[in-house]
Amino acid sequence: MPIRLLRTAVLLNLLLMLGACSSVISVKVDQQFPNVVSEPKDFSVALVFDQEFRTYVAKPNAKASIDIGSSQVDLLSRAFRGLFQRVEIVSSRDQVGPEAQLVIIPSVREVQLSTPSDSYLNVYEVWIKYNLDIETPDGEPIDSWFMPAYGKTPDSMMLSRSSAITSASTVALRDAGAKLLLDFFRIPSVYSWMERQKESEVQ
Amino acid sequence: MIKVHQVLLLAIAVYLGGCTATTTIDEFRPNTERLEILDGEKLVILGRRDAGHYETDRDFVGCVAKKMRGMNIEILPEEAFIDAIYPWFEPRTAPKGLPRLKRLLEEPAIRAKISEERVRYLVWLDGTAETQGQIGSMSCTVGPTGGGCFGYTQWEKIVFIEAIIWDLTDLTEKGRIRVDSEGTSFLIGIVAPIPLLSPVKSSACSGLGKQLKSFFTEDVG
Repeated sequence: MPIRLLRTAVLLNLLLMLGACSSVISVKVDQQFPNVVSEPKDFSVALVFDQEFRTYVAKPNAKASIDIGSSQVDLLSRAFRGLFQRVEIVSSRDQVGPEAQLVIIPSVREVQLSTPSDSYLNVYEVWIKYNLDIETPDGEPIDSWFMPAYGKTPDSMMLSRSSAITSASTVALRDAGAKLLLDFFRIPSVYSWMERQKESEVQ
Repeated sequence: MIKVHQVLLLAIAVYLGGCTATTTIDEFRPNTERLEILDGEKLVILGRRDAGHYETDRDFVGCVAKKMRGMNIEILPEEAFIDAIYPWFEPRTAPKGLPRLKRLLEEPAIRAKISEERVRYLVWLDGTAETQGQIGSMSCTVGPTGGGCFGYTQWEKIVFIEAIIWDLTDLTEKGRIRVDSEGTSFLIGIVAPIPLLSPVKSSACSGLGKQLKSFFTEDVG
């Protein structure tokens, strides 16, 4: 009798373990990012974070969901404050104030996740593909800039799936901040818009 | 007459002997004087993370920083420095060479931040650990009545790390240290798996920490 009980317990345990292997994993990246070190340019911009962006939950595959909404709002707010002297953060396009010289509407195109079982590498990788719609206050499009960001764990040893995905997502978000600071003013259309603004101020 | 326990002790001694690590350290200094560091000036030890296929181990960076303690040099933790200077030392943006660092420090905000943090030296660690030559096999079984592991396996671990010291006052390289460490580890399965691990990483860390310390404490030649 005790052997039968033990067998049942072992089988139940195995089933639970197998169930855990195939379960859907949900993580929330709840991260505060550092302020950026940069000299902001003397422009006023409005940053539109709509409800979808603020509460964005990525579903890179059927078995994983990553809540990056609040973290990406924190990161992009800090990054744009490093780029521009005056940043107005609003929830919709029609809330943009009269001082704004530029309107930026970020959105997430796609989030991809690669796990050791997908890639046979000992790392978790996350790609976040952003799109920044850049417009004048009148709604005239300046550019629609594709901004990919990448993050990975150093290795997956001693990490649970959820902490590995959280860690790779945090690195990807930090990379988005780096990419923005490095490349935003190099976007040709943004650069020429700034030049035009400077010229009009001189005149 | 040799007793069984003596044979066992001898076997364990042989195995433990095999678990030691061999570490080789090479260094380059452009001059023979020790590096100057004033009161309040700090040193940061950073790991390279821009290569696609490997990352310098954070724990190893922390270990070297720990070995450097005990001198009159303040070590600013890697994470604190990377956050303080965000985003200019992220994998995408970190300067790979002195020309890029010079360009970075031309930015007044970055230069001001470095001065505010009083960072005098950056030490870049670049390298990784590799496992090679795994032989043997071990099988573990679990059943309702018990289980165990049987077999034998061994592998060789190699750590190679290069440290480069940059002086932020005159933007020059002040030295390089190359550490290679290797050792063989064993796993013996006699019901329970018994690991006999070679301390390759800790040996490389101690060697590198000691050598790095000598740059600030000893004149050579």
